[in-house]
Amino acid sequence: MRNLNLYLLTMLSALAGHLPVRLISLVLAAGLGWTLAQPGLDRLQLLAQQRYGQPATETVISWRHMLEESRALPDDEKLKAVNQFFNRRIRFNADQAVWGMPDYWATPLEFIGRAQGDCEDFAIAKYISLLMLGVPNDKLRLIYVRARFGGSLILNTEAHMVLGYYVDPAGDPIILDSLLNSIRPAAARTDLTPIFSFNSQGLWVPGAPNLGADPTARLSRWRDVLDRIKIDGIQL
Amino acid sequence: MSLVKQLWLAITLVMLSAFGISLVVNVYSSRQYLEQQLQIKNIDNATSLALSLSQMEKDPPTLELMVSSQFDIGHYRFIRIVAPSGQTLIEKNYEGKAVDVPQWFVNLIPLRVQNGQALIQEGWKQYGTLTLASHDQYAYKSLWDGTRQLLIWFLLGGLLTGLLGMTLLRFITRPLLDVVAQAQALAERRFKTVNEPRTPELRAVTRAMNHMVGLLKTMFAEEAQRLETLRDRVNHDAVTGLANREYFLSQLGEIMSGEQHGSTGSLVIIRLDDLNKLNDKLGHQGADRLLRSLGDLLHDGQQDYAGRLKGGEFAVVYPSQDSAAQAAQTLHARLLQDWLPQWQAKCPDLFHLVAVRYQRHQSLGELLAQADQALAQAQAKGQNNWHAPEEGSNKLTIPAEQWRSLLTDAIRVGRLSLAWFPVVKGAQGQLLHREGSLRLQTETAAPLLTAGDFLPMAAKLKLTAPIDLEVVRMALNGLRGSSGDMAVNLSSESITDFSFRNQLGELLQAQPALRVRLLFEVPEFGVARHFEAFQDLTQRLKSLGCRVGIKYFGQNFLESGKLASLGLDYIKVDPGYVRGIGSHSGNQEFLTGLCTMAHTLGMLVIAAGVEQGQDLALLEKLGFDGMTGPGVRRTDQV
Repeated sequence: MRNLNLYLLTMLSALAGHLPVRLISLVLAAGLGWTLAQPGLDRLQLLAQQRYGQPATETVISWRHMLEESRALPDDEKLKAVNQFFNRRIRFNADQAVWGMPDYWATPLEFIGRAQGDCEDFAIAKYISLLMLGVPNDKLRLIYVRARFGGSLILNTEAHMVLGYYVDPAGDPIILDSLLNSIRPAAARTDLTPIFSFNSQGLWVPGAPNLGADPTARLSRWRDVLDRIKIDGIQL
Repeated sequence: MSLVKQLWLAITLVMLSAFGISLVVNVYSSRQYLEQQLQIKNIDNATSLALSLSQMEKDPPTLELMVSSQFDIGHYRFIRIVAPSGQTLIEKNYEGKAVDVPQWFVNLIPLRVQNGQALIQEGWKQYGTLTLASHDQYAYKSLWDGTRQLLIWFLLGGLLTGLLGMTLLRFITRPLLDVVAQAQALAERRFKTVNEPRTPELRAVTRAMNHMVGLLKTMFAEEAQRLETLRDRVNHDAVTGLANREYFLSQLGEIMSGEQHGSTGSLVIIRLDDLNKLNDKLGHQGADRLLRSLGDLLHDGQQDYAGRLKGGEFAVVYPSQDSAAQAAQTLHARLLQDWLPQWQAKCPDLFHLVAVRYQRHQSLGELLAQADQALAQAQAKGQNNWHAPEEGSNKLTIPAEQWRSLLTDAIRVGRLSLAWFPVVKGAQGQLLHREGSLRLQTETAAPLLTAGDFLPMAAKLKLTAPIDLEVVRMALNGLRGSSGDMAVNLSSESITDFSFRNQLGELLQAQPALRVRLLFEVPEFGVARHFEAFQDLTQRLKSLGCRVGIKYFGQNFLESGKLASLGLDYIKVDPGYVRGIGSHSGNQEFLTGLCTMAHTLGMLVIAAGVEQGQDLALLEKLGFDGMTGPGVRRTDQV
């Protein structure tokens, strides 16, 4: 706690000459009684303030709050909290509309900042949030799926991504989907066909040197986004 | 450590560190590149294999085939699939060790690459985790080859840079060496100027040193000028510029008794009949003009030497002319042709001319008395005529052709010898060195001839070079059998001979221990006439450790300020100045100045032709470092 206070003190004094709004929000945040205090998340919050303004900052604060509150809960409660948080607060929108390009993988910060994103962005944000809550990496999978829309007469398929949670390594996962607010087992999702799954195992080794040191990381969309997440200030 | 060596060391260090650092950087960047490539390959291959497997039926033979085909055809260290339960489903390992990279290199620069990992799905279920690692042997191989190649290039580059550096360094330090050489020359009291180098720092130094040398040279030139004026005033007649009585008689005495010239010669006296009458007829200025024109004519000779004995009495000595009649006739003819016609109109009765022959060691008084007697006889022959008394027949007359065989035989058979005369320091008589004087015995039991008797003939026959070489050989033999230093004379004809200088160099080269005890002397008139040759000779002899001096110094040195650039060890002052020094205050002043100047140039000054023992103390007081001549006694006789 002493470290935190020291940190806040220096932050405050460093920002003393800046916008009053920023100061107020910081004081406000401090008043909320942070216990999930990480320098990295403070940085992330500051970046949200600088880049996306007050609403985004508030979302970040509530995100941190949600994380803090869920920390002690069992895994299924964590899944529910995280799923709800993003599905309620963030609007689904295509990359082209949000980022002006056909396919862009956003970091949680960008995702929260814009308050909109597509299925990958939801999956990534949920994945990272769950990892932050201490859910084991090998239980989580980002899964490419083929999704069917509409009635049973007109079949409309689309590429989609969801986050799977494996309660049992040998069993079926339960699925966190950006399109559905409830979490359902995979068997109940007949509209989805799994194609391929991945997570950050072998790419994001805890304690390994920052991937940013390796310029080839930029060339892989997945490694790139993992890299940018680290830069944003999320440490796992 | 010399500057050049230090520069070398610095260049080598800089080069080594530059090459070393770039080698390390190069190796490390290559390693990073290889690591990245391997990493990407691992990740991509794991993902694509996992993707293919996810889409397939995963019965064991198919799985085995899929993994085998990837493993066998690709380049992998291992491929492994582990089920979520932790059970290894399939594993392939590469066993061979392919390439020849030394283990120490692998240990020194290890490649750190993470394995590629991907997940295989079976519908919604996890089938397993695929892990693979590409082979890194070829990466090590390429790194090792690259490093070796770089090393070779660096060595080549280093060699090239070294060569280039050597050339550059030589180019850069050349002016520096010049400056150093100049400084060394200054230390040896050789005052020479060098070209200014282009390097600004060195140019400043060179300019300063050149300036100093210039100042010193000016100083010497001024001092020399002063001495020359003094010498002229003291020893020469103001009207005609010829030697005055004292100086002429001193020179004549030296010519008659010294070794520079032959044992016989002729003295010619010209007497203008009545100077007072001339003054009356021509006026004082006119008479002076007449005297001066006579002086110019007499001064014109080469080997002869002229002086004004008193008012209307002039004398010329012909050291090598042993026929008085011929000497008289020659000069008389010149007077009639070049001088008399201008004055005959006003003064028809102008002069009498007589010539007498002298012998070595004849007394000066006796010779002058003979001349007086001859003048009396000449009166009888009438005005403007000449007279030479009958000559005795006791002279040595050998025709020129005979001389040639005589001299060559003498060298071959060994009829030449050296007579040694001591040169001592101060009045105490401590031996400085011994001077060798050449003697020739024409045949057994014949009297010894001195150098002056046969060297003029040897010069005419161009035989001085072999004679001088023989002299040096004899001196070296002499040095071998005795202690102390020895001086030998080189004739002015020899020093102009390039091959003589080479032969002399070779001769001395072989005698490193003896040659440093050897001194070489060249007559001053020879130095003046062949300065370049003498300079070359001096440089060669001095580089061999020999000492070099000038003999008969004082007659024309003052005309050349080049003395300062020679770096000589000593001068032997002409006996003409030394004879009768006790009663000649003018020459005392001149010699004091000469000694001071010579000492400034780092030369010893030796008085030659000292006749009387009592002069020794005086000469030492004047500044002479050494003395030689008949009046010198050695305390330490060998």
